[in-house]
Amino acid sequence: MIKKFDKKDEESGSGSNPFQHLEKSAVLQEARIFNETPINPRRCLHILTKIIYLLNQGEHFGTTEATEAFFAMTRLFQSNDQTLRRMCYLTIKEMANISEDVIIVTSSLTKDMTGKEDVYRGPAIRALCRITDTTMLQGIERYMKQAIVDKVPSVSSSALVSSLHMVKMSYDVVKRWVNEAQEAASSDNIMVQYHALGLLYHLRKNDRLAVSKMLNKFTKSGLKSPFAYCMLIRIASKLLEESEGGHDSPLFDFIESCLRNKHEMVVYEAASAIVHMPNCTARELAPAVSVLQLFCSSPKAALRYAAVRTLNKVAMKHPSAVTACNLDLENLITDSNRSIATLAITTLLKTGSESSVDRLMKQISSFVSEISDEFKVVVVQAISALCQKYPRKHSVMMNFLSNMLRDDGGFDYKRAIVDCIISIIEENPESKETGLAHLCEFIEDCEHTVLATKILHLLGKEGPRTPSPSKYIRFIFNRVVLESEAVRAAAVSALAKFGAQNDDLLPSVLVLMHRCMMDSDDEVRDRATFYMNVLQQKQKALNAAYIFNGLSVSVPGLEKSLHQYTLDPAEKPFDMKSVPLATQPITEQKTEIAPVATSKLPEKMAPSRQDIYQEQLSGIPEFQGLGPLFKSSDPVQLTEAETEYVVRCVKHTFAGHLVFQFDCTNTLNDQLLQRVMVQMEPSEAYEVMRYVPAANLPYSQPGSCYTLVRLPEDDPTAVSCTFSCTMKYLVRDCDPNTGEPDDDGYDDEYVLEDLEVTVADHIQKVLKPNFGAAWEEVGDDFEKEETFALSSVRTLDEAVNNIISFLGMQPCERSDKVPENKNSHVLFLGGVFRGGHDVLVRARLALADGVTMQVTVRSTDENAVDVILASVG
Amino acid sequence: MGLFDKLAGWLGLKKKEVNVLCLGLDNSGKTTIINQLKPSNAQAQDIVPTIGFSIEKFKTSRDSLSFTVFDMSGQGRYRNLWEHYYKEGQAIIFVIDSSDKLRMVVAKEELDTLFSHPDIKHRRIPILFFANKMDLKEALSSVKVSQLLCLENIKDKPWHICASNAIKGEGLQEGVDWLQDQIRTMRT
Ligand SMILES: Nc1nc2c(ncn2[C@@H]2O[C@H](COP(=O)(O)OP(=O)(O)O)[C@@H](O)[C@H]2O)c(=O)[nH]1
Ligand SMILES: [Mg+2]
Repeated sequence: MIKKFDKKDEESGSGSNPFQHLEKSAVLQEARIFNETPINPRRCLHILTKIIYLLNQGEHFGTTEATEAFFAMTRLFQSNDQTLRRMCYLTIKEMANISEDVIIVTSSLTKDMTGKEDVYRGPAIRALCRITDTTMLQGIERYMKQAIVDKVPSVSSSALVSSLHMVKMSYDVVKRWVNEAQEAASSDNIMVQYHALGLLYHLRKNDRLAVSKMLNKFTKSGLKSPFAYCMLIRIASKLLEESEGGHDSPLFDFIESCLRNKHEMVVYEAASAIVHMPNCTARELAPAVSVLQLFCSSPKAALRYAAVRTLNKVAMKHPSAVTACNLDLENLITDSNRSIATLAITTLLKTGSESSVDRLMKQISSFVSEISDEFKVVVVQAISALCQKYPRKHSVMMNFLSNMLRDDGGFDYKRAIVDCIISIIEENPESKETGLAHLCEFIEDCEHTVLATKILHLLGKEGPRTPSPSKYIRFIFNRVVLESEAVRAAAVSALAKFGAQNDDLLPSVLVLMHRCMMDSDDEVRDRATFYMNVLQQKQKALNAAYIFNGLSVSVPGLEKSLHQYTLDPAEKPFDMKSVPLATQPITEQKTEIAPVATSKLPEKMAPSRQDIYQEQLSGIPEFQGLGPLFKSSDPVQLTEAETEYVVRCVKHTFAGHLVFQFDCTNTLNDQLLQRVMVQMEPSEAYEVMRYVPAANLPYSQPGSCYTLVRLPEDDPTAVSCTFSCTMKYLVRDCDPNTGEPDDDGYDDEYVLEDLEVTVADHIQKVLKPNFGAAWEEVGDDFEKEETFALSSVRTLDEAVNNIISFLGMQPCERSDKVPENKNSHVLFLGGVFRGGHDVLVRARLALADGVTMQVTVRSTDENAVDVILASVG
Repeated sequence: MGLFDKLAGWLGLKKKEVNVLCLGLDNSGKTTIINQLKPSNAQAQDIVPTIGFSIEKFKTSRDSLSFTVFDMSGQGRYRNLWEHYYKEGQAIIFVIDSSDKLRMVVAKEELDTLFSHPDIKHRRIPILFFANKMDLKEALSSVKVSQLLCLENIKDKPWHICASNAIKGEGLQEGVDWLQDQIRTMRT
């Protein structure tokens, strides 16, 4: 077998791993001994281990070599060596998706899963389910059913868990095993019971009624397994959350009763569920918090950890409830387990008073270098939260953060700090210069490209607007000299912004830019050349359009349009307006406290939701020739929850048409619907042109039908319309068990809620990072202004939110955030009107008796201006 | 009582291992035959269609041989996977459903493909044919089967054909005896 590591090796770190320098080709060569007779189990085992090791290291195996190794491995089924056989199961699972014809082992595995050797049976089931596809599943169905109710717990659990995996692939087959799962749920074995419950839940989770019945049954009869209890609690709290009713329900009572369960695990789960519920009253919260409080002084570190971590998470939401535990938390700040101590301190930071901040910060500085990055991030989050709560503390915090920034630490940690500093800068204008200075210092020695480019971007945006912009130029230009291509390119873009904004810096920026045109990298050179030429024109409008505010089109969309254009070249030049817009503008939204650590970097250019719709719609012949998709709305529910049919609508806007996509689900298991369409009656001069029905709508499988509508051509300002909607279809009754429909059916219809089309459906959000420049660029050719009194609005915040959601435009310059204690505010909104014209709105708001609003609209198209004003007034 | 378990433990001889490939179209009776050859206490009660392949081991008494049989699935989808195991085989059992006249040509095609495979072509490897299901009244005789399959053209490999009834176990012993003789001469 594998050589036992000796202790010394393990400590010395490197060199302890016997597999470290494995070569794939050498290992595959060695795998030839699988073909030798008699089989040498020891050596084969060792080679399989190597193969699995390589696979887990992410080594790529080509299909041919993988298949060859796989088939050689299948011969090892001759051997009855138990360890070797189980290693074969592992190999089969690992190779299931890279080798061809893995189904060759089906009979061998079914033999093992039904055989006498119990140690083979569970693993054989799991391997079998990995290689089985829907067509093969029928063939092993009867073995699976037997295995689920097998009296050996490991066999039953394996079958249940494998079934759970297969639900995703073959829901309809696995559904037939419900009775067996039901039987397993009454098993005496705690794991079997837990796994059975898991399967039952996943089979039913789309059917609220069934889930709640199941929950009802199990909470009444009681379960043996604490794991199953935890799961019931999770299901119950999910149901509660969805039902949006109060907590005056048996579900809540059940969760509450679990606080008195004899298993700590269950008690914790219940407490955690309660404190995480939205809208919990203080009375409901109290027992849960006191359980957590008790756990804080448990001798078991795991419980202390769980309790303090949970309290930490809800500290912002329920400060007063958590404050009740302050004494216990104080005791934990010196806990020998640093993770517990960190969580305790940061919880106290979130809930404590301003006066305790300095003391706690001192305490945490004493060991911040000893804790892992993950917990350092927790500390940064707490600081971030503190800064929002006590803006006056920002200089203390900024100091602390800049020290942390100098420490060692991984990417996530550094990013959390940078994000936190940026959010402090954004919240507190007076901290801008100190913050930028810290960040400048940081990028002087920063190994993370992503952070360096992010900071350069910020410097380009904020630097030119500070009192002494020139001092940033040196930091930025150093990057051009010293860094990798991506950073150099970002530095060039930042430089350009200084040149565009500050006339007195322009000559020196042009000199630096000129040097960048000699860069060895294409992208850097291209950018420099481009900016050089724009800057030399010295035109404000050009600067605004090409330096401050970049393109706002969807990149995949642009790629596709350009490709299309090259396919049939026209006389006409390529029209930028025909390119779909980006739907997810690089948001300028305030950084929330929680996501600091969790927010992921955008992976790469994943197609957006709208790109996907565009793709789907372009596959429907009826919708050819509508042009690019301009906007897709969020789904609108047209039925109430828990009705026979669930219908929601997505409104797709094109240049001259609307396509309504109705996503329908049939929740009746005794009906098959056919030729489903939604008939629409418009209130205005909108013309319904075409219906594209859904051919079949079987039970619980969503399907879509479409309605195509032409916008009125003669009245371009008629942007809003109400449609009454009726779903029409043919019903064929069917057997709920088999799904077999009757031969003939009958027509029926179902009245849906009215659907509104509003001005927001004609405008796409576009972020203008420099709104002032964009405002100048569009100019006042079609400017219009009007004043309104919003009598029913009480606060500026409310007014701002209403305007944004009504117009569906993008707030710029963070103007969606109304500073506290102000009685006037200016809101800037950016967007593009259907047809491709920029629209900008400036709304000056004043709070007196109600709110007065002066709206100024600019656009490159007069019609767009009229539409907006008409829809506001 | 299985056919192969008489002297095995009694003599305590060290067994020679022989790998046998069991080939033939689906439903010809391969799995049933192999099941019959196993000791009675290890025999399966019901035979289900083989998916992929399955490995069965049992011992012969007479010749102190240990058989490892690769029972391959005969369904079309799997037939091209047989070749992965050709190198392995030291003998082949090829089973024909002698009542399935319609697919006799398919069986012949598979046989030809087998013989032209590089891993089989130049090896003097013994092949035992079972003209199975002889109990059925529409079954062809073993002579007729060997004509239809053109067995007389096999020059470079020892072969033998027996009619068999796998369900009752008739005809199997004769075939297996022949195979053991062949293996013995091959080995010594
Ligand atoms: N009448 C008859 N039926 C047989 C005989 N041998 C096998 N069968 C049946 O033929 C079917 C297929 O057998 P099976 O061993 O699974 O064939 P394989 O696909 O070649 O493995 C089964 O229903 C057997 O009971 C035989 O000699 N006579
Ligand atoms: Mg078979």
